[in-house]
Amino acid sequence: MQGTDMDLYRHTDTVNELLARYGVKFGIYKNNEFKEQLFPFDAIPRVIEKDEFAYLEKGLKQRVMALNLFIRDIYSEKKIIRDKIVPEEFIYASSGYLAQCEGVTPPKGVYAHIAGIDLVQGRDREWYILEDNLRVPSGASYPMIARELCRRSSPLAFRQTHIEDNRNYADLLRKTMDYVNTGGLTVILTPGRYNSACFEHSYLAEKTGAHLVTGSELLVEDDHLYFIDYSGRKEPVGAVYRRISDEYLDPMNFYEGSLIGIPHLYDIFRKGNVALLNAPGNGVADDKGIYYFVPKMITYYLGEEPILHNAPTYLPLYKEDMDYVLEHFDDLVLKDVAEAGGYGVVFGNKMTRQQKEAFIALLKKEPRRFIAQEVIDFLDIDIMDRPQSGEDGTQVSNRVPRKADLRAFVLMGEEPMVWKSGLTRFSRNPDSFIVNSSQGGGFKDTWVLSQ
Amino acid sequence: MKELLFEYDMNLVFSPPVEEHRFTLKCIPRTDERQFIKQLDVEVYPKEFLSTDEDSFGNYSIYGYTKGKHDRFFARVRGQARTGLAPCLTARAEHQVGLFRYQTDCTRPGPNILSFADTFADAATEYHDLSAAVIHSADTNPIPGYDPTLSFVLTMMRGLYREFSYVQGVTNVQTTAEEAMALGRGVCQDYSHILLSLCRLHKIPCRYVVGMLIGEGLSHAWVEIYSRGHWYALDPTNNLIVDDAHIKISSGRDYHDCIVSQGVFVGCTTQTQTVAVRVREIDICCPAAPKHVSHV
Repeated sequence: MQGTDMDLYRHTDTVNELLARYGVKFGIYKNNEFKEQLFPFDAIPRVIEKDEFAYLEKGLKQRVMALNLFIRDIYSEKKIIRDKIVPEEFIYASSGYLAQCEGVTPPKGVYAHIAGIDLVQGRDREWYILEDNLRVPSGASYPMIARELCRRSSPLAFRQTHIEDNRNYADLLRKTMDYVNTGGLTVILTPGRYNSACFEHSYLAEKTGAHLVTGSELLVEDDHLYFIDYSGRKEPVGAVYRRISDEYLDPMNFYEGSLIGIPHLYDIFRKGNVALLNAPGNGVADDKGIYYFVPKMITYYLGEEPILHNAPTYLPLYKEDMDYVLEHFDDLVLKDVAEAGGYGVVFGNKMTRQQKEAFIALLKKEPRRFIAQEVIDFLDIDIMDRPQSGEDGTQVSNRVPRKADLRAFVLMGEEPMVWKSGLTRFSRNPDSFIVNSSQGGGFKDTWVLSQ
Repeated sequence: MKELLFEYDMNLVFSPPVEEHRFTLKCIPRTDERQFIKQLDVEVYPKEFLSTDEDSFGNYSIYGYTKGKHDRFFARVRGQARTGLAPCLTARAEHQVGLFRYQTDCTRPGPNILSFADTFADAATEYHDLSAAVIHSADTNPIPGYDPTLSFVLTMMRGLYREFSYVQGVTNVQTTAEEAMALGRGVCQDYSHILLSLCRLHKIPCRYVVGMLIGEGLSHAWVEIYSRGHWYALDPTNNLIVDDAHIKISSGRDYHDCIVSQGVFVGCTTQTQTVAVRVREIDICCPAAPKHVSHV
């Protein structure tokens, strides 16, 4: 085992070079400038035992089922508001709630077709849910291609270890898209190369056999959506896996200034003439403030005890929670509910006295804007640091522990399906808890053992 | 009750012409408990494809597109409505109208609205006390025929009517309630946005309404407020409870949910939009429209 591991690690640089050549990059906007950077791959996989993953799988399915029921309820009968499980201001003050989606039922009633659920494992070995991503979660393509390349460079490692093959993600995705397709082509809609996940869009299109398109190649006519190919030929489209956000999807129904959207797309979606994956309006369920209520949703909609737990979370909006937050400020991490990608996250103990005072004033003024969470004592996983020279002058790889999370993917077809892998992201900075790729972290493959 | 003949004309002129024009129109009144649309004739030009739909607020919308080059676009709506059929509209359950309780970007109050709202502090206290009493007495109203919400909003509407002046041309469609309040002048859209902002400060669900009013001019705007299962229509520009002189077209959280005409097209152009609304009453005893028009 040790020997094959070494074989896997020895090829890290080769794999990273190949990833660079395939264009596995992450684009970020900083100071109004677009920069692409490589998404560094670390060859030491995160390994999850068969039984452990079976437990995660059960919990993830349960959670995504409840989230789907919640979104459907919010845009129709709103029973959860009537029964006072979720206060209505959390719904209507959320930027992810879109009034345009009221009364609209997507094909087959599925809202969150592709969910990216972020988890961490604590030192107590307990898993905690950190975040639900139900809009356009990205990241599945990275472990897919990394596995592919590692299998090629170190076939022995894969022959000797019994792990679940994760190259079936495309099949799961295709099944999910086909399930809701209203008749016609399946396309993946990308905003283009200036999007941070552009590699993923093209990779998933290639692997699923879907057409990769931009907004200018799609057209609404006669209440249906069409794909116009290079020769001007029109073909009906039945499912759009859209990788652009709700606001930009349709200038006639959402943000008027959108140039990448398709006018009247939402009107025909409302009529049931095309499927959009994921459905617009899902943001109401992955809001950081709504997160607090997910365990309550599971009990409310499914009548079951939540299998997976949230990180202990406080809502400063509630007086007793506010008191707790002020009292234990230094032990908590505070998150701005409107931000994503690791922005708007601050640690109580990392602030200067002045920053703290200013933050508390803001917190009291806009309590709805923040949630506070206990800092989870993460279980570190090893990554390979720069190789060091051993005593005899040979290069010795150097393992160092780092914080990491896991993004699990749950796809909702006729039944929820959990991909037996996931994106493990780690922070390269030893002091940082923030693992988001937009903050310069790296990634690992996630191995789920099959025996 | 009135029998009204209405005409709605929207004309757009493009110079130079545009193409690939996609549009959505919400300019068609529909039958509800208060109004019965007896006759309706809609013409849109030019159009290559036209479809109809109902938006998430229940408004009737027409959408479509015109591919070829064109330098004008118009929508013409003609019809006859019987109005004033009921004093209010039946609303959905209270937990389903909550979205109308929250400020939007254009109703969100600033210092001007907040200080104006302070002038109703006494009425507000009374309203909150009375509505608490109403809640405690379940569904039986302690003072029969008295609606504390309606009464409170009427007080604010009267105050607004006194304080605010009707002046055209000082505000535009993008003006927020707070900006209009700072100016102290504006048109029906501004009156309505300010009243919505005031109601929402007290968590009263309320919505923006676009429609037509007897006479000649532009389209009109007013508000509907929710109280005890019903929507009541109030016209703050004219300081009155809407009876049978108004024909409702659409409603939403604010102006942006009720945009009458919206479009995207290809072309670098200057566009001029004109809207003309004519509503006149006809004799209810002989409701048929005159068949012969005598040419003098």
